Amino acid sequence: MKSEGALPPFRALTILVTATAVIGPLSLILYQSLLNAPFFDARKAFGFEAYAFIFKDPDFWSAFKNSIIIATGMTLIAVPLGAILAFVMERTDLPAKRWLEPLILVPSFVSPMVLSFGFVVAAGPVGFYSVWSQELFGIAPWGLYSVMAMTVIAGLMHVPNVYIYASSALKNLGSDVEEAARSAGASPFKVAVSVSLPLIMPSLLFAAVLVFFLGFELFGLPLVLGDPEGILVLSTYLFKLTNKLGTPSYHLMAAVAVCIVAITFPLVLAQRRLLQNARKYATIKGKAGRMRELPLGKWTWVAFAILVGYLFVTVIVPLSGIALRAFVTNWGFGVNLAEAFTLDNFKSVFDEPTHKRAIFNTILIGTVGGFLTVAYYTAIGFATHRRNDGWSRFIDYLVLVPRAIPGLLAGLAFLWLFLFVPPLSPLRSTIFSVWIAYTVVWLAYGMRLISSSLMQVSPELEEAARSVGASRGQISRDITLPLIRPGLIGSWLLVFMIFEREYSTGVYLLAPGTEVIGAQLVSLWQGGAIDIVAALSLINILLVGVGLAIALRFGVKLRD
Amino acid sequence: MANDTAQHELTVDDLYLTYGDNPILKGVGMALDRGEVVSLLGPSGSGKTTLLRAVAGLEVPHKGRIMIGPKTVFDGAAGVEVPAEGRNLGLVFQSYALWPHKTVADNVAYGLKLRKVPAGEIGTRVKKALDELSLGHLLARFPHQLSGGQQQRVAIARALVYNPPVILMDEPLSNLDAKLREEARAWLRELIVTMKLSALVVTHDQSEAMAMSDRILLLNNGVIEQQGTPQEMYSSPRTLFTAEFMGNNNRIAGKVAEIRGEEAQLTAEGVTLWGRARPSAAAGKEGVALIRLERVSLADGPGANRIQPELTTSMFLGDRWEHIFRLGALTLRAYSTTSLEAGKRHWLELPRANLWIF
Repeated sequence: MKSEGALPPFRALTILVTATAVIGPLSLILYQSLLNAPFFDARKAFGFEAYAFIFKDPDFWSAFKNSIIIATGMTLIAVPLGAILAFVMERTDLPAKRWLEPLILVPSFVSPMVLSFGFVVAAGPVGFYSVWSQELFGIAPWGLYSVMAMTVIAGLMHVPNVYIYASSALKNLGSDVEEAARSAGASPFKVAVSVSLPLIMPSLLFAAVLVFFLGFELFGLPLVLGDPEGILVLSTYLFKLTNKLGTPSYHLMAAVAVCIVAITFPLVLAQRRLLQNARKYATIKGKAGRMRELPLGKWTWVAFAILVGYLFVTVIVPLSGIALRAFVTNWGFGVNLAEAFTLDNFKSVFDEPTHKRAIFNTILIGTVGGFLTVAYYTAIGFATHRRNDGWSRFIDYLVLVPRAIPGLLAGLAFLWLFLFVPPLSPLRSTIFSVWIAYTVVWLAYGMRLISSSLMQVSPELEEAARSVGASRGQISRDITLPLIRPGLIGSWLLVFMIFEREYSTGVYLLAPGTEVIGAQLVSLWQGGAIDIVAALSLINILLVGVGLAIALRFGVKLRD
Repeated sequence: MANDTAQHELTVDDLYLTYGDNPILKGVGMALDRGEVVSLLGPSGSGKTTLLRAVAGLEVPHKGRIMIGPKTVFDGAAGVEVPAEGRNLGLVFQSYALWPHKTVADNVAYGLKLRKVPAGEIGTRVKKALDELSLGHLLARFPHQLSGGQQQRVAIARALVYNPPVILMDEPLSNLDAKLREEARAWLRELIVTMKLSALVVTHDQSEAMAMSDRILLLNNGVIEQQGTPQEMYSSPRTLFTAEFMGNNNRIAGKVAEIRGEEAQLTAEGVTLWGRARPSAAAGKEGVALIRLERVSLADGPGANRIQPELTTSMFLGDRWEHIFRLGALTLRAYSTTSLEAGKRHWLELPRANLWIF
């Protein structure tokens, strides 16, 4: 192999910026966890006191146990359900499925904080559906505030993650194997369980690892549903540490953060390995032949019941709960919806400058910020595009790292970075700080979007430009960039939606001037301002909905 | 054609190229002279496309030398490697690789723009190049609005517009449908000759290679099996591989009984055949006799190099008949202008001048 010689300046800059943005905050967390006091404390010294403290704390172990139970349980729920839904949508003749698919993906576009809040107002002790059920049947046989309920809801909320991978794997599967099973006498259900799903096992395993480590990153759900009963998971334990000790206990938070990353990072690496295996598997199986739909026959109703049941519980119940709650003054037994109707909740949102700023900032960070983020991701994409050298592999791993860092921790790390590095501190009170954190947190997701666009450009189009005399830079500008423009606009829309949805990353960066709806909701929820939370949540859903509507209107693929 | 005093337009010297552990080119050398069309012919996996891409600068060999005119563009030993964009060659892709976001005119103009040609001149040169290929009326179209044949011509115009010394074509006809391909072949040959281009053309189709080129390089497994004019390649193949690749053959496996001067004798299925001995034939060893289908003729009775197989069946091809004969384990095919009676034995002559023994 020939060495590339000196790194071109643009590429060098991109690599340097990315390495700094990823490694900087992470090493700061590690450094802080090895101190016995917050890093700004003059009496700080190296030591393992922080770890010793949390390992002696029974709450830590209880949170750890709950995290493991929830992560395991939600994986066991999300994987089979996601796989079955993918089979039904991808391989059968279920009616209206093209129309239903975006609905299945809705839970992945709505903030978990908002969804969890929706569950509380819809199915909590005095939620709409609980009250209606009590009035109709005299009983509402569900409770939300338990590890069990959290596990089920988390499982349902992560069905889209499994669905996305399972359905793209099923797309690559020749339908002849299914037809063979069908003509041998297997029912559609049997075909799914004994033929199609086993063949996409590598992708399901990949999705299972993904859901499992997302289980350790849960924050909004346990914050909303676990708090009333004092149930902690690792992220809420970290979040509550400050309150618990009454002083900024950064070293303890950092120690918890390191523990979380120590669990998630190996899982991310394992996932990467699985993905490579899954791709190998897919190329062996992929006949890419014409796909024929499997007739469901009398199974149509079973498939429909599973699908509608899932959509009802996971999408309709929480979202309708929020929509109703945003327009009533209060709610409980004996309250009449029509009498309680009000617009005051929205009025109080728009009367309060911080809320108005939060809405403005959220739109700004999704549109302008999203644009800049996509531009930056594209720059990284070009820094590795069609180059198979050490630097490309370095960036590949680098962009993977933020995947292992939950948004809450990333926000915390960036807060510390802004406090720790004086030249950066002016950024601290601007929305720019939140934008940087968002951009780093979603690096792995965004790079998948960009590289799938880049992969679609046939190498010959670029080689043709080389052969007529274009340099690398000229090819990027004149050929590749114009060709991936539609893909980039799609990515911008998707990044807009996830930036509207994001909440945990902004929690620690919340300050006058940096308000975003997501973080604002966490703070308002802590203060118990249900009315405003409901109104802001609905506004948040609407913002995501606008993005989704535009994406669907212009046929942007919601998944790769 | 070949001009001794002039510099070759393209020289490839002892080129080696490896993908991972997989050697693709194992010491290939060739030269291309001004105004000459050379085909790189070979089965898939023979390394012909890789050789073309290495010349273009899109693949990096690990040993050997490539020169364009007097200029060395690759030298493994000296560490010289001119990138593809610096080689000033014209490359026509199998898929044409027209840029879908640029119009026909912009596709063709891009190479001139990169060479900082003044805008006015670009316009006239693009128009001229497209007019020469009768595409002048399609300037403002986008590639997806063109037929396959038109796209191919745009790809050629794009590669010719900046007057590269050598034009490289990767399977230029394979994306056209069968009927169009024969017309395009004639058109392309005429274009190359009238424009006095020097062209290196990759193809896997031997009739295409023969029709289009002045010289053929037959590649097999990363080395040049044989090279020569189409007539030489077809009529006097040196190896069994060349003989089998270049035409439709009857193949008779047997034993080489004796070699006498330029000729050899092969026995198979109780018959004895004389033919031209090829270098690999050795007396007393297993051998193969090969004869082109069109060289087998019907005979009226017994004689030298004649056999009497039974006719199994015949196929009508329009301009002639193709017959399938059987003699013991041997299957022979032959053409004739008349039909023959199936189930009967017929005399066939395999002329000794046209039968090769390997």
